[in-house]
Amino acid sequence: MKRKKKRRSVPVPTASMGDIAFLLIIFFLVCSDTSKERSLSLDLPQSGYVEKTKVGVAARISMDKDGILYFDGQPVESAKDVEWGVRAVLANTVADDQRHVQFTCDAALPKEQFEPVIQAIAEAGGILEAVGEKRQ
Amino acid sequence: MSRKSRGQEKKHRSGTIPTDSFSDIAFLLIIYFLVATSLVKVKSITADLPSGEKAAQAQTEKTPSVNLRGSEIFFNDKQVSFDELEARLAALDLPAQEGSKRVILLESTRDTPYSSYFQTLAAISASGGVVALVQEDEKK
Repeated sequence: MKRKKKRRSVPVPTASMGDIAFLLIIFFLVCSDTSKERSLSLDLPQSGYVEKTKVGVAARISMDKDGILYFDGQPVESAKDVEWGVRAVLANTVADDQRHVQFTCDAALPKEQFEPVIQAIAEAGGILEAVGEKRQ
Repeated sequence: MSRKSRGQEKKHRSGTIPTDSFSDIAFLLIIYFLVATSLVKVKSITADLPSGEKAAQAQTEKTPSVNLRGSEIFFNDKQVSFDELEARLAALDLPAQEGSKRVILLESTRDTPYSSYFQTLAAISASGGVVALVQEDEKK
C-alpha cells in the first residue's frame, strides 16, 4: 500500500519584509558616519603604537603628497585656516573627548609643511589624532 | 450615446496602495548605505600637545629633549637608535610623574620626514609623555 504524500504549498511570509528592510535603513541612517574625506593619494607613516581610533573626531585634516591641505575634505590655503577652523569647531565643546582632531599626512612630507598644521591644531586646543598604519 | 455614457463612467478601482515593490526599494536603499558607509575605523596615535605658551613655560634646563635630524634621533643631545629612545623614555617612568615633569621637548630639523616625526611622537605619547613642540624661533 502506498501512501500518497500530500503536497502542500508553503508560502513564505514576505509581508513584513518591507518593514524589516526599512528598519535596517533607519539603523544605517542613525549609525553611519558619512565620510567627509576625499580619496587622497598618500602613504601613511607606520608605527607599532597605532591603535584603532576609539573616539569621535571633531574635525578631519589631511595633507596629500603635494602638500595640499584639506579641512573636512575642503581644500584650505594655510595652517592658519586650519587653526581658525578647529577653533570654530571646538568653540562649543565642554569635554576633552570632543577635542580630538584627526590629522592624516603623507609620510614623506618635510617638517616645514606638516609642523605648522600640528602647531595650529595644538594652538586651537585640539588633541591630535595622527593617522598611521600598524607596523608589522 | 450609450457608448459615451459608458466611457464617462468612473471605473471603480480598488483603493489599495501597491506595496509589493516596497521591499525591493528598501533593500536597494540598504545596499546603497552599505556601500556608502565608511565602516572601517582608522588607526591613529593620540597626542595632547600643549599650546605654545604652556610649552614655553614647561621649558626648563632639566626637561628631556628629543631632537630629530633627518632620520637620526638624539635624546638629550646623544645619538640613539629608536629602540634606545623607547628604553630611555620607559626609564623616565613618565606616567608616574606629574605636571611639567611629563613634558618632553620635540625638536626637528627642516629635512625631517613626517614618518620619523610620527614614530617619535607615537613613542613619546605611548610612554606617557606630553609632547612640547619646539619651533625654530623658540630655539634662537
